[in-house]
Amino acid sequence: MISISPRALATGSDPSLASKLDLNNLAPEQVALDINKLNLYYGKKQALNNITMSIPKGQVTAFIGPSGCGKSTLLRCINRMNDLVDDCHISGEINLHGNNIYNKHVDVAELRRKVGMVFQRPNPFPKTIYENVVYGLRIMGENNRRRLDDAAEKSLRSAALWNEVKDRLHESALGLSGGQQQRLVIARAIAIQPEVLLLDEPTSALDPISTLTIEELINDLKKQFTVVIVTHNMQQAARVSDQTAFMYMGDLIEYSDTNTLFTTPQKKKTEDYITGRYG
Amino acid sequence: MVTLISSSRSRGIKNSLAKWLITLGGISVLFTLVLIFLYLLYVVKPVFDSAQIEPAVSISIDLPTDTRILATGVDELQELAYQISDTGQIDFYHLVASTEQADKQFSIGDKSVSTSLFGSDDFSQEKIISLANSFSGHKLLHTASAKTLLIQPSFYAKYTVDSREIIAQVNYPLGKKSLVIDEQQQLLTKLAFAMDDEKAVFVAFTEDKRLIKTTFLAEDDFSSTSEDFVVEYEINYQQIDFSGGGVDEVQVTPDASMAFVRSGSTVFVYSLSDDDFSLKATITPKLKNSETYLTSMALLSGSSSVLLGDSSGQVSQWFEVATDSGREFKQIRTFIANDLSNDGANGKVSKAITAIYPEQFRKSFYTMTASGLVNAFYTTSSAHLWQGQLTTSQPAALAISPRANGLIIIDDSSATPSSLKIQTFTVHNEHPEVTWQALWQEVWYEGYPEPDYIWQSTSGSDDFEGKFSLVPISFGTMKAAFYAMLFAVPIALTAAIYTAYFMTAGMRKKVKPTIEMMEALPTVILGFLAGLWLAPIMEEYLPAIFLLCFFIPLATLLTAFAWHKLPNYWKNKLPETLAPLLLIPVIILATYIAFSLSPVLEDVMFGGDMRQYLTNDLGINFDQRNALVVGIAMGFAVIPTIFTMAEDAIFSVPGHLTSGSLALGATQWQTLIGVVLLTASPGIFSAVMMGLGRAVGETMIVLMATGNTPILDWSIFQGMRTLAANIAVEMPESEVGSTHYRILFLAAFVLFIFTFIFNTAAEFVRQRLREKYSSM
Repeated sequence: MISISPRALATGSDPSLASKLDLNNLAPEQVALDINKLNLYYGKKQALNNITMSIPKGQVTAFIGPSGCGKSTLLRCINRMNDLVDDCHISGEINLHGNNIYNKHVDVAELRRKVGMVFQRPNPFPKTIYENVVYGLRIMGENNRRRLDDAAEKSLRSAALWNEVKDRLHESALGLSGGQQQRLVIARAIAIQPEVLLLDEPTSALDPISTLTIEELINDLKKQFTVVIVTHNMQQAARVSDQTAFMYMGDLIEYSDTNTLFTTPQKKKTEDYITGRYG
Repeated sequence: MVTLISSSRSRGIKNSLAKWLITLGGISVLFTLVLIFLYLLYVVKPVFDSAQIEPAVSISIDLPTDTRILATGVDELQELAYQISDTGQIDFYHLVASTEQADKQFSIGDKSVSTSLFGSDDFSQEKIISLANSFSGHKLLHTASAKTLLIQPSFYAKYTVDSREIIAQVNYPLGKKSLVIDEQQQLLTKLAFAMDDEKAVFVAFTEDKRLIKTTFLAEDDFSSTSEDFVVEYEINYQQIDFSGGGVDEVQVTPDASMAFVRSGSTVFVYSLSDDDFSLKATITPKLKNSETYLTSMALLSGSSSVLLGDSSGQVSQWFEVATDSGREFKQIRTFIANDLSNDGANGKVSKAITAIYPEQFRKSFYTMTASGLVNAFYTTSSAHLWQGQLTTSQPAALAISPRANGLIIIDDSSATPSSLKIQTFTVHNEHPEVTWQALWQEVWYEGYPEPDYIWQSTSGSDDFEGKFSLVPISFGTMKAAFYAMLFAVPIALTAAIYTAYFMTAGMRKKVKPTIEMMEALPTVILGFLAGLWLAPIMEEYLPAIFLLCFFIPLATLLTAFAWHKLPNYWKNKLPETLAPLLLIPVIILATYIAFSLSPVLEDVMFGGDMRQYLTNDLGINFDQRNALVVGIAMGFAVIPTIFTMAEDAIFSVPGHLTSGSLALGATQWQTLIGVVLLTASPGIFSAVMMGLGRAVGETMIVLMATGNTPILDWSIFQGMRTLAANIAVEMPESEVGSTHYRILFLAAFVLFIFTFIFNTAAEFVRQRLREKYSSM
């Protein structure tokens, strides 16, 4: 792990905005997601220990931590992607608009429309660029050509991809570069207008230039969506996020605004991690 | 110092050895494939070779003046030839000079022997005015003084320790005395006959314009060749007045059932069977124009067809066809014997067919014109086999060797009137019955009401018309494959989807190898079970089979629904992995109910027997071994192939694509349709194609469960014969090198092409799909 000077990291996010929020005492309208006493087990092994945190609306929240700390698992709990894993069970709650998403009456497909997700590796479908973007709308039953066209253009513009692909919308998405593919996947995720966008290490498979583009995009995206990002890269967390949660061995160690976490961590483990003593 | 020389010698040796072995293996696979292909072509090729006639032996002999040659003939091996002249002389000739000949009857010298045919006092210095041939090889001689003699020049082989001789002799099956064909002993201007061991039937036209039929019924039989044997027979005379006109030609069918009498351009057909002698039909061919007239008539081997040659050089084939108004003679096809190369340039040459010479056993015939132009045709295949000039004008006599591989011609057109030329020709015409049209188009076979696609390669008789249409058996292949796929594809694909996409990992580990093991099941067992066990059951419980098509899906859905509604308390009692096993008793129960309902249903809806109901009320023929049985049995053979490949394809769809779709709010079902199947489509497609390839090439199941009826019918209740089964059934009984044998190889070649086309198309489409849907 690279050793980073805390000073250098503080420049990325806007301190004035972050300092306005008290993460432990958010007003209900400020909260996008409320995670309450969440425990997750893979078989007998507990992977998340009693996580409680509130994710503020319209902000970028980053989960950081060493490999296997549970940050991706926590992220995947938010849109119940862990349901697909055999032997995985969960206790506690995650509230979206005050409704527990683990309530048995919740329609998982509906939940995932509200909570979009972008994965580590770009995963466009083997279809055209256009069909990739409108996939979410089509499965919701939208077939009006004009509405699809509008949504595709809007999403691609939001994902800063429009100018690059507008002339080849009907060519295979697999012909795009890795960075373009990842932005396409983001466009695909935002085309269905989710409330929350989960990014699971979205740049780890990309080159530095593409990473930069995506990071700029994340800054724009928070104007419309609540963004939760898992990243392995502390500089990225520092650059793009407003809040950062540091996790370790399934525990949420420290959760505060990014500036604070990187400059004056409260916990020894956090300081050890961000200064590169382990990771 | 770095050295780039390999540190280990043995590693280098192993590497190059492996390289060579792999290359060798690959090349030998390709080489073998090409070799099979070439061998098939090599065996098949002669079938499509055109006929060739080459001169063989030519002998010049002197002929006494005022002598005419009436007939000639040659033995099977073309070593001895004979000629019969109108003085009653028969002359035998060696065609192979080196062979030593000996004969008990004729002491044949170096070259030839000549003897008189007239062995009794009845004949003295007679002049033969007409000679009639029969398909049995007998010849009937009629002299100017109205005397008649039946002879049979024959040859047989005599083997000594180290040599074989062909011995010639002349038999007199009805004795050497003059036969009384006409009670009134009138001169017979035209005569024809047919004979076998039991009887001889003569039809003749007398000088006083009577048409007579005379039957000699043997007391014992006519087959004795002993000279001392006194032949005894009973004679039966019948006659019809035929004063209406002259008779140009008379022919009697070999089975003595019909006589054809040509009078000008009209042919009268008389029934001869038993004691009958009456006009049966009249054939009036539609000729080209008013100036065209009939010039010759001949019967085709097999006694069904008559050939009529006319003055414009056309030969038409006629046979009896069953129509609504009874059996009628119809013109089946026309052969044009025009010499196209000389047409116009030498307009004066007559195109008229002066003689038609049919082969003894096959449906080939040769035509002759006055200018000596010879054409060879084969009727069934409508093939024009050969055209050419063997002599400069019409020869005195022409005969086809018994094996149809040679011609003998007696040419009297040479410069000096007293000199003759005996010429033999080798005929290369082994497979005249095969043409592209005969294989793939409708052919009007003798006795059939209309042209049809028929595969019927063998029969008991020698003069059987081989029916070699590849259409019914190619169709059978397609039909069997189609029904097998109809059964296998839905089951195999849904099973593959379920196993790859929905099944838990633990269960998949058990299920997949189990289904793959089904592939190892010998197909002969499947075919055996299908033919002997399944087919009778399906016949007895036919309604149950159709009920099952609804019952099993319905029962499955109901169970699924009930399971869904079941309280969690009960659900948790059964581990999730075992839940699908619940379906086993359900399916058994559904099957049991269907089979129990079957007799009831038959009683209520089909009047007690669905099979009879199908046949009688709906007019659908029902075979016990039908496409339904084959579909199920071969479906079982094909399912593992399709399942394994499709399952692999679906299972290997990357998880991140599935997650991507699910994360967009798609349901499992939407993800399956929109992403998984789409991405797996190249693999699924090639799985189906592999299954199809297997179904097309499958032999044992179709052999045992189809009934092997080569019919063209899509009906699910009818059987079929496939290319593969056809080869398996008929190869053991086909004579090596025969047309039948080569056509079976052609069938193999067609099968090869079929699978080749399927696999190539499959591969092509798969590559295209893979290009399109290749995932990262």
